Amino acid sequence: MIFWLIGLGVLVLLAFIIYYNRFVTLENRIGNSLSQIDVQLRKRADLVPNLISSVKGYVKHERGVMSEVTKARKEFMTAKNFEGKVKAGAQLQSALGSFFAIAENYPQLKANENFLHLQQELAAIEDKVAYARQHYNDSILGYNNLCKKLPGVMFASIYGKLAKKYLEIPQEARTVPKVEF
Amino acid sequence: MNERISFDDQIQRNKIKSFLLIVIIFAFFIVLGYVISMILDPGYFFVIMIFATVFSLIYVVAGYYKSDKIALASVRAKPASKTEHRMLYHAAEGMAISSGLPIPKLYVMESEEINAFASGRDPKHSVICFTTGALKKLDKQELEGVMAHEMSHIANYDIRFMTLTAVLIGMVSIIAQMFLRSLWFSGGRNREGKEQIILIIVGIVFAILAPIAVQLVSFAISRKREYVADASGVKFTRYPRGLASALEKIKNEHVSHSDKEHKVSKALAPLFISDPFKRKVSGLFATHPDINERIRKLESM
Repeated sequence: MIFWLIGLGVLVLLAFIIYYNRFVTLENRIGNSLSQIDVQLRKRADLVPNLISSVKGYVKHERGVMSEVTKARKEFMTAKNFEGKVKAGAQLQSALGSFFAIAENYPQLKANENFLHLQQELAAIEDKVAYARQHYNDSILGYNNLCKKLPGVMFASIYGKLAKKYLEIPQEARTVPKVEF
Repeated sequence: MNERISFDDQIQRNKIKSFLLIVIIFAFFIVLGYVISMILDPGYFFVIMIFATVFSLIYVVAGYYKSDKIALASVRAKPASKTEHRMLYHAAEGMAISSGLPIPKLYVMESEEINAFASGRDPKHSVICFTTGALKKLDKQELEGVMAHEMSHIANYDIRFMTLTAVLIGMVSIIAQMFLRSLWFSGGRNREGKEQIILIIVGIVFAILAPIAVQLVSFAISRKREYVADASGVKFTRYPRGLASALEKIKNEHVSHSDKEHKVSKALAPLFISDPFKRKVSGLFATHPDINERIRKLESM
């Protein structure tokens, strides 16, 4: 009898440990994917000054679009929390989108090696931002499933774990900017 | 959560199978050493057994830690350059982000046909190799689709089992062939009776083993494994069309005959995303599922 009780106790203890570790693993995954988004957004912001200086000689009459880009970048750099960064990142993205659309009108610019390189880099970062968001939301999904399904929900309430919110994606994020290779 | 559990199951199965494979190969050489020593002279028993143990240990350890290098060397792959193959790097980085895996080491092999394979022992020590043909003919979405397929082989630990099988079993079959040939050519020379008998017995063992080995290699890649990789690859890209149209291109490409006698060893064939020998068999003995069926499944996602 005693033997069985001890066995049961060990099993319960094991379940507590396993579930605790799973919560930690999934939370770490979320944190990690969050920082991936941050890394990519930052990379994009870092490329903007290069882009501006590479087009300076070519595009003289498009001050409006250029200042739009610089403004969005500034906003990103000064954003205090993650939400602000994501919002500014989306602004920067759409500003870059209209910037590249205008660049289509400058054949000399499109022949510039440096510019083309930057354009491709920015397009690739665009994709990576989207993939990072996707992975973030996937991680949230895994975590929330654990929090809300049985038996995870019992452990979630014991450990005080709450379901987390998904990252809202601005609709234009997946399509802009359209870059031709 | 259902899906994830089945992936975990597959990872577990792959790890167990890899371990069993190593044990079997190890045991095989020990038994072989034992048989040889029994026939040759029981007096040599310890010497031969020590030799057999050391040999099989080295063989298995080298197979485990160097299998990706062996696979890459056998197709003469070169590391991809960051400047020249930028699209490949972008695809790998994107897929690494969306799958949460580390970025694999990237290689390129000379071949006109569109193909790719992944290898390594775990996600931290993984490589992906693309043919130059694939880099030339696939567009960005297709490249990402193929990359995602290979990344899911990595995520599921398919690479460990598949590469180990190809390298360990493939070597056995190569040794077998060498042995059989030397048996043919050494027939004329005079040898002492016992040695002759050993050679014949070992030869026969290998002769039986070689076809079994080749079969085992083909089983390493079950068709299910490919479908699972296709499906979880789509989970990374969220764009089934990319991989589907890459497969379409593979299906429709015409490879010239001179190109067919390239350097891919038969043992390695199952590692690739599509059969590098373009064999027209489907069904039980195919190493790869029917490409039309794969495209159909991708398109219905």
